Amino acid sequence: MAEERTAMESVTRSQATLVDLLDRVLDRGVVINADIIISLAGVPLIGVNLRAALAGMETMVKYGVMREWDDRIRAQAVRSN
Amino acid sequence: MGQSNEGQGQSRAGTVTASEQVGRYVCCIAPAGGEANLGAIGIEGHEVYTVVHNGLCAVVHDCPAEPYQSDDVEVTTAWVLAHHGVVDAAWRRWGTVLPLTFNTIIAATEKSAEENLAAWLEAEYESLKGRLDALAGKAEYGVQVTWDPAIVARKIAETSPEIKKLEAEIGSQPRGLAYMYRQKLERSLRKETEAKGAEEFKDLYSRISRCVDNIHVEKPKEIEGERQMLMNLSCLVSKERCPGLEAELNKVSEMEGYSTRLVGPLPPYSFC
Repeated sequence: MAEERTAMESVTRSQATLVDLLDRVLDRGVVINADIIISLAGVPLIGVNLRAALAGMETMVKYGVMREWDDRIRAQAVRSN
Repeated sequence: MGQSNEGQGQSRAGTVTASEQVGRYVCCIAPAGGEANLGAIGIEGHEVYTVVHNGLCAVVHDCPAEPYQSDDVEVTTAWVLAHHGVVDAAWRRWGTVLPLTFNTIIAATEKSAEENLAAWLEAEYESLKGRLDALAGKAEYGVQVTWDPAIVARKIAETSPEIKKLEAEIGSQPRGLAYMYRQKLERSLRKETEAKGAEEFKDLYSRISRCVDNIHVEKPKEIEGERQMLMNLSCLVSKERCPGLEAELNKVSEMEGYSTRLVGPLPPYSFC
């Protein structure tokens, strides 16, 4: 499912992990600059708090604490595709 | 997520009264194909539908007129994954989308949020249409190249004339001097390895950029163990160019000490 390998080779084509998605969903994408957008004191909301909540998660994943959890979320993301 | 949300289904407003759902959370913009309902896949299980305007549609769901905020990592993660799930579903359905950044919520002013959204689509039509057209048939891929500096350093030690010379000299030195020579050797080796990294980066960048339509250099990630991420890229790739990119990355993976990871296809988050 997640891993597709070409005939002989070693480049792993992998499903996006949580970190891959967080980087993109939180930091990229079209930003609407208009006053019809809800904002907090002019600060784009993209995640002042959200980022704070998620800060350190990469580190946790790195040290394996959340490995299982990350796998579970990944599996969920795969299923929802 | 959203399972306990009794009363969703036909009602766009879910369980909460309509007045509390005056915002419109916008997940992405897509080429319009008429009105559509994507199901209860939004944040907190909200029904996702399209607001169609002039050949474009915004893929949205109703929401309270306030940003999604939480200190709970599980909750925020579920939101982010739901956002991605909607963008991904729209992308599969319409082929091209412009993802909006997380927490983009259109507010009601003296007009309703939906009217504000339509006015915005109208005002931005040319720009949005142009960007959608430019992304047609293309997908985003994450490309990460990691290397093991120790393996690369060993190879350098085997081939670099300067390092070999220093190594040869160590043997003929008295103890104290040999120690200094060894330090010098290590410094040289580190310098050469770093230079090699910079050189490889340039080379890989030009090889990979020849295989893709657009490329962004991202900050490398910290990874565990001895390996280092040499390069972290977001690439926009036309369908037909994908095998070429894979072939190139395969060549990189064959280099001793190197490995590559190709993530995707993803909606073009980094190129809109």
